[in-house]
Amino acid sequence: MLLVLEDEHKKHLSFLPSVDIAVVKEFCRISMEFIRKGTNPKVYTSAAQKLGVEANSVQNGVEGLMYLLTEASKLLLSEIDYQDSIMVLGFSEELRSMLLELYIEHSGEIRTILSELSMDLPHYHNLEWRFDVQLASRSLRRQITPQVLFKLHTETYGERKTQVLQTDPVNLVHLTKVLDEALQEMKSPYCRRIVRNIK
Amino acid sequence: RFRFCGELDCPDWVLAEISTLAKMTSVKMKLLCVQVLKDLLGTDIDYDKVSKLTSDAKFETGDVKASIAVLSFILTSAAKYNVDGETLSNELQQLGLPKEHSTSLCKSYSDALEKLKEHLQQQSLRLSHLDSVQWRVDYILSSSELKDVSEPCVQMKLNVKNPDTNTVSPVTFTVPADKFRVLLNGW
Repeated sequence: MLLVLEDEHKKHLSFLPSVDIAVVKEFCRISMEFIRKGTNPKVYTSAAQKLGVEANSVQNGVEGLMYLLTEASKLLLSEIDYQDSIMVLGFSEELRSMLLELYIEHSGEIRTILSELSMDLPHYHNLEWRFDVQLASRSLRRQITPQVLFKLHTETYGERKTQVLQTDPVNLVHLTKVLDEALQEMKSPYCRRIVRNIK
Repeated sequence: RFRFCGELDCPDWVLAEISTLAKMTSVKMKLLCVQVLKDLLGTDIDYDKVSKLTSDAKFETGDVKASIAVLSFILTSAAKYNVDGETLSNELQQLGLPKEHSTSLCKSYSDALEKLKEHLQQQSLRLSHLDSVQWRVDYILSSSELKDVSEPCVQMKLNVKNPDTNTVSPVTFTVPADKFRVLLNGW
């Protein structure tokens, strides 16, 4: 599928052919850094001063480049589709090949960064357990009650939470049996048919 | 089947990485063992020394990580199931680790076994630690409700440490005299 660029986006990117190819290479490196770590407006002003153009056009050029890369990685464009999409910009052969190289080299990394941006539910971080035998309590002496104590650590958006849970061994065996059955469900013919169709 | 894995089968990745370990000389492996033991006992691992040790066998970063991981697994798992050095050496040789490597690994393991077990016990699940207790006995003379109270009461402050965050938070409560007697005699 082709990436359809909006007119404003095309206007921003049209700044790129007006500068040297070495400067464009520098812009490519800056845009990858910004995708990794976030934008830094000071770079725009310093680059604009060196080139003798407005800071605005530098910003539009770099951000246009970032948007092009993220959209292309998001949609997993093949090289041919990517080349056809940028053909419409009317860039020189050298510029187009540089943009293609940039895309191929970094699309995997951009996809990893994009995947981390999506919604995060609490997910498993660590599970500690302890097996105790309660011998007596204030209300009842001389007992033998086995208990299993769990501490479940979960993580959401980098924040850690812990949950303390307690069960007896019979319940624990039942729990593991039910979870095992859930895993075995993957081997049922119904699930196998679906997985085959997704692949 | 293996005692150091808790009478279960040895994981596949351990089998694969034992052959990576065999590529190093046994002297270098013993020094790597020492580093891994330092890491398990809590001090930081010195990665420069590790890379110097592994550079002779031309390990890539993946191999270095794998060899550290497999050594940590073997040492912690053996300490967990309280396996002695002899048995560990036999089982490792069964898995394919050469004799000199097994003996040097098991020598470092036997030396560090007590400290490892102690460290693992301290790391075991605990809900909270009691850090310290402070108390104070007051004598209440009177209050806004009753002019003449004349009763002793105990103020208690328990400092509880959370083992996850290592922060100490105070738990304070006050106990009137009779309740305090019940509390003491109830034990």
